[in-house]
Amino acid sequence: MISSKLQKLVLSICAPLLLCGVSPALNRPGSIGLEITTKSPQARAYFESGLAKWQTLYSEEGLANWRKAVKADPDFALAHIFLANFSTDPAEQIQERDRALSTRKFAGPEEQLIVDWISNANEAHWIPAIQAMNEALDRYHDHKQLFWMAGMWLTGQQQWGRATRFYERAIQLDPEFADAWNSVAYCYARTRQFDKAFVAMKRYTELLPNEPNPQDSFAEISRMAGRFDDALAHYHASLKIDPGFVMSQIGIGDTYALMGDEARARKEYDLAMPKAPNKILASQWSLQMAITWVREGDYLHADQAFRALAAYAHRDGLGNIEAEAYRSMALYQEDHGSAMKLLKQAEAVVHETHNVPKLLLDQELASILRTRIERAVQDKDMAVAEADLKQLGQLASTSSDGQVDMFYEGAAGTLAFARGQYAEAVDHLKEEDRNPFSLERLVDAYKKTGDKKQADAVADELAGFNEPVIDQAVVVPQFRKAHALAPGHQESAREFRYEW
Amino acid sequence: MYPLLVLMVCLGIRCEAKQVAVIVDKSNSVGALSTAELTKLFKCDTRKWPDGRNIVVVVRDPSTPEMKVALQKLYKMQPEEFNALLAAHHTGLVVVHSEQELLKSVESIPGAIGLVDVYSINGRVNVVKVDGKLPLEPGYLLKGN
Repeated sequence: MISSKLQKLVLSICAPLLLCGVSPALNRPGSIGLEITTKSPQARAYFESGLAKWQTLYSEEGLANWRKAVKADPDFALAHIFLANFSTDPAEQIQERDRALSTRKFAGPEEQLIVDWISNANEAHWIPAIQAMNEALDRYHDHKQLFWMAGMWLTGQQQWGRATRFYERAIQLDPEFADAWNSVAYCYARTRQFDKAFVAMKRYTELLPNEPNPQDSFAEISRMAGRFDDALAHYHASLKIDPGFVMSQIGIGDTYALMGDEARARKEYDLAMPKAPNKILASQWSLQMAITWVREGDYLHADQAFRALAAYAHRDGLGNIEAEAYRSMALYQEDHGSAMKLLKQAEAVVHETHNVPKLLLDQELASILRTRIERAVQDKDMAVAEADLKQLGQLASTSSDGQVDMFYEGAAGTLAFARGQYAEAVDHLKEEDRNPFSLERLVDAYKKTGDKKQADAVADELAGFNEPVIDQAVVVPQFRKAHALAPGHQESAREFRYEW
Repeated sequence: MYPLLVLMVCLGIRCEAKQVAVIVDKSNSVGALSTAELTKLFKCDTRKWPDGRNIVVVVRDPSTPEMKVALQKLYKMQPEEFNALLAAHHTGLVVVHSEQELLKSVESIPGAIGLVDVYSINGRVNVVKVDGKLPLEPGYLLKGN
């Protein structure tokens, strides 16, 4: 049981001893299943404590511990690369990546491979990144934390199947590795294997009965499956364990929002907002709150909320979020001119923002262009749509980010559909299969090509799309209404046995 | 809550994008090929590398995801046609039954070339650019869902 074991080990025993100066070996895999090289026992204790915190979703505490670790030992490459990988602050990510590279020489061979893997990935040098990751996994095939980390990274790459295998390997190495159960449950849920997801989640809750995160995770999986009442029950159970576990409070808001009780959702979000651990999360939650007005069709209040968020993000230098606020507004404007004006405003913000990593700005710009093409096609302004697709294509050809590529595919499919090229539209649209706009058009494209089976499958998927994002709010409720489809997912209740 | 989701501002995709890497043994100095060159090579129309070594094409069953991408984007063939191609080329084509076997074959057979899921590559093979692009770069040829 990695999380509780680590907490018990690190917080109750190791940390006090190490802080008092008990000298451990400098370089050893240790009890956590990962090579850790540091000259400072204190740094090691902080690092392990940070890992335990991170794996029970005390993310800020985890990061804080890793920051203390690198303060205690500035040459601690592994802690630097963990910060580079897990920090939500783009500037810190870059700074810590550079520090990890400069201290790589002090690390052991496994840690050096991790530094190579993550630092290359952060710079979109995918081939050496993957080679280093696989080299590490091959050499250290009994290091459960390494497999967990690979699972995390591959999840970020949307490689759910491969991530699942690595989490399963981590569980095989330690059947009580709680966070691996949590993570594999999400992978199952992402691939809509909800029956397996619930079994894994049950195991996770059993392993950490006194932690809020298992209940929070159970709630989120339930919400993804459309089981809103179960989701609320689990979120409340999480808050009963730890009233300060703010992510569950946000989860309650999200669930009410998806249930259509927007006033209640806003009340719940309001309870969470003062506890936001950082300005990035606070602004994300403000986005979610603003979306509730869109769901209600109260566009006046929605405009006010998004403009307030844009001002807040502008003041705090969060250019991508400021732009996202304007893009979100454009999605529900009834007037074509207003929508286009907002999208121009969003684009201008992206171009004038310099303190956010290019990757995030490229993603936001691609999202803006994708939205502009969507609006232009809806409003039959094909000249704008064609010009924007060209610009998006140029962006995709110079960006190394897969998300940008997906926006391009969705936009190309949208235009192909508008031209009546339905087979081509299918090929493009299915590449952007987590965008409700693309899914909706994909249903129609399949129908046009005579593939009713696929059309029905995508329609079910769209109806079961339960993410609290603006595109969902604009597309999915109306789609369900038009097609008389329910938000839930029907899965069997049978039990699964794990045989690895 | 899943820790990574805290970091993910954008949505993930449910269906995995499959990107297929073209790999050669470490001693092979060919770092880039055009689509046309690659197609000729995989169809056994080109039999030797520029250094004179024989080309050995290592492939898997056409039902595997990697080969489905290859059949669609490279061979432009149906599985039956591909099986006929296999039957017609007893030399120069090696069929393996797993990803591990494919990687090991390309590593160990001089002049070998193969196709593998990019997330499986290791440091014991070289990855060849296709039309100037590596896997996971925008516009890369060998990708699919």
